[in-house]
Amino acid sequence: MEKISVKIDGRTFEAAKDQCILEVAHENGIYIPSLCYNSEVASSGGSCRVCLVEAHQGGRMRLVTSCNYPVRKGLEVKTDTPLVHRIRRGVLELLMARVPDSEAIREMAAAEGPTDVRFRLDEGEYDRYKCIACALCTNVCADVVGVFAIGMVNRGADKKPDTPYGKPSDVCIGCGACAYACPTGAITMKEKDGVRRIWGRDFDMVTCSVCGTPYIPQAQVDWIVRTTGKDRSFFDKCPDHR
Amino acid sequence: MGAINTIEQLEAYRQEIAAGIKADLPTVLVCFGTGCQANGARPVAEAFSDIIEEQGLELNVNIGIKTTGCHGYCENGPLVALQPQGILYLKVKPEDVAEIVEKTIRSGEVIERLIYQDKTTSDMVAEYSEIPFYKHQHRIALRNIGAIDPTNIDDYILAGGYSGLVKALGMKPDDIITEIEDSGLRGRGGGGFPTGTKWRSCVAVDSDVRYVMCNCDEGDPGAFMDRSIMEGDPHSVIEGMIIGALAMGSHTGYVYIRDEYPLAVKNLTSALEAAREKGLLGESILGSGFDFDIKISRGGGAFVCGESSALMRSVAGEVGEPRAKYIRSVERGLYDKPTVLNNVETWANVPEIIMKGAEWYAGLGTEGSKGTKVFSLVGKVNNTGLVEVPMGISIRELVENIGGGVLNGKKFKAVQTGGPSGGCIPERLSDLPVDFDSLTEAGSMMGSGGIIVMDEETCMVDVAKYFINFLVEESCGKCTPCRDGLPRMLDLLTDITEGRGGEEHVAMLEELCDLLTWGALCGLGTSAANPVLSTIKYFRDEYDAHIFDKKCPAGVCKELITYAIDPEACTGCRLCAKNCPQECITGERKEPHVIDTAECIKCGLCRDVCTFDAVRIS
Repeated sequence: MEKISVKIDGRTFEAAKDQCILEVAHENGIYIPSLCYNSEVASSGGSCRVCLVEAHQGGRMRLVTSCNYPVRKGLEVKTDTPLVHRIRRGVLELLMARVPDSEAIREMAAAEGPTDVRFRLDEGEYDRYKCIACALCTNVCADVVGVFAIGMVNRGADKKPDTPYGKPSDVCIGCGACAYACPTGAITMKEKDGVRRIWGRDFDMVTCSVCGTPYIPQAQVDWIVRTTGKDRSFFDKCPDHR
Repeated sequence: MGAINTIEQLEAYRQEIAAGIKADLPTVLVCFGTGCQANGARPVAEAFSDIIEEQGLELNVNIGIKTTGCHGYCENGPLVALQPQGILYLKVKPEDVAEIVEKTIRSGEVIERLIYQDKTTSDMVAEYSEIPFYKHQHRIALRNIGAIDPTNIDDYILAGGYSGLVKALGMKPDDIITEIEDSGLRGRGGGGFPTGTKWRSCVAVDSDVRYVMCNCDEGDPGAFMDRSIMEGDPHSVIEGMIIGALAMGSHTGYVYIRDEYPLAVKNLTSALEAAREKGLLGESILGSGFDFDIKISRGGGAFVCGESSALMRSVAGEVGEPRAKYIRSVERGLYDKPTVLNNVETWANVPEIIMKGAEWYAGLGTEGSKGTKVFSLVGKVNNTGLVEVPMGISIRELVENIGGGVLNGKKFKAVQTGGPSGGCIPERLSDLPVDFDSLTEAGSMMGSGGIIVMDEETCMVDVAKYFINFLVEESCGKCTPCRDGLPRMLDLLTDITEGRGGEEHVAMLEELCDLLTWGALCGLGTSAANPVLSTIKYFRDEYDAHIFDKKCPAGVCKELITYAIDPEACTGCRLCAKNCPQECITGERKEPHVIDTAECIKCGLCRDVCTFDAVRIS
């Protein structure tokens, strides 16, 4: 594959063409925080603005989201400048004002300095819980799982992920990928007595024939069998006892 | 006549239309733009039809009564222009029609009550071209509007339409692009990006499919130039797009148009059909072997869909959200193919540039901004409407010469340019030339060309709040700074206008502006700071008055003002008391009245109805 060299914080690294800045930085031990990006999810990134870095090229500097900005020949990146920290702190302060209960946001903000929120905290006009509307959940559901059970609804400050019309979705397979991917733990998934509840719908779980642990929703098994042709008996046992 | 298959046939057809018109016969032009229709143009046109039929009048048979697009002087609609006299009548009512036919059409007499009277000089002006509103204009993009019937392709062809295309068909694609480059034309939608450069970089990308698109998602409050062009002269846009497609080797074009512009959609649709019938769109245009057609994509009215990447997603059937433009749309735009998106006004300029040459166009305007620009002049100004002037005209000329000065003799305070993402420029800078670079330097922007005139009774903090509120509503919600930063800015501005502002409020606003400018994803967010920063920069004293003195100097912010009646001026006519919805104005007839401020809801009705200017704001 074509390699290009890119300069990050004064050091030069080899990178694959079109690789994003954030990946190259992480591979080389330079930490850039991020929330809405997951390398496994093609359409993720670009929305939370936490990973903004300075991109210098052709005598021009601008802030770019490192999670989706492809490295190019002659690009010089700076991740640790006063501007980068100032804007990141601002973004995190806004997020804290939005989701004061989120531990993840508070921890990330603490790493940037004082965590006072000077803006009026949201007074709960609607239920925002811990969601920062980054759309990683809906991107996972669409790109990785491929069932499109949830999408982003509304716009502006009311934007949030939801099932169509907020009703339990009959295409959801209860896999929970959205909940696992969520950077702030905003999606509630509960399991009790062999039933998983997520997005307002109950899913019966398949129990492992060896250990007796309910480990996968029946709907997910049906979906995997239907889309991959895998033998149904494969799911009799949980991954630990296969 | 059906399809025109050669360039020669088009010329022959043009002469055929011309031969059918008796030039000396009178013509009545009734403006059918949205503004005039709302003011009652339809009954006026019907009255003309009735009377012509009734009296068997020989009006120009080919043209007859023409329903035209917007003349631009919407405030004085319905407008009726009479040819060959060149007279323009304003605010015409159906009952005036008989008199117009009798006096003006039959005996050439001017009806004084219907003509323009200059508000400052009191001069009466009958001739269209002498009215100051039109006199100082230079119309290129608006060249045909008001003079032709947009639903009749023959009118456009007769006015020289599609000659630019004919010329372009004889040029090398590369030369067409060079011509546009040399003309210095810059995108009229707001960005001001050089059009020729955009075309050139699209052609440089290797691809078998390319798209040309037209952005008619005009959404700035008070802006209506794109609507007027689309309503009044859709063929100029179509012709521009065909020339662009020819230059770039594109075979499919899209017009993205707001569905809230029903007349524009209707006129564009019929224009496209007419162009197809005449062989000007579709397979082998004018027998040249070049195929191109245009599709209409109707937008749902989201402001953010005027942003190029959101627009393209919307056309493709996805949610209208912008994406990071690290890869430009000339490389990967609509359906991931190289795409050139230009604004309505930009496209409308193209045929004229090709026809008259780059040198002619570059001779107009300023060093960095060539040609003319259409502005929608609105707000507290005597003559509101659509004006096209050479770039570089000063704000003062626009407001005073064309706009006829500020309404009711009030003091001119500022102009807001560039829509919600633009800024306010104070009166003291009104000798500033209006062009892309000067406006940006002053902390505002050209935007799509909206100019809102503000007088001494406009509160600049309130203006900033208005635009931020607009942007809060229109933010798509994708990125954090815009989605969560704008509501926080609105909170702060609301605090200030309601008397809760503290010393730190302005600094916090500036911080949020900094955050949006650097951190937001698309143009909507990165330019959202302009209304706030420009008002802080030029009208800091007003912010301070609200914050420290708890006063609104312009008398606008309700929480900071009280209404009172000046006993000296009050005649005790009882008009205010009768109109007060709170019934909180008391007083005997012919005695000074008093407002009970505890009950007053500060609606301002008393002040509006008072004929003695006795109601004061403090």
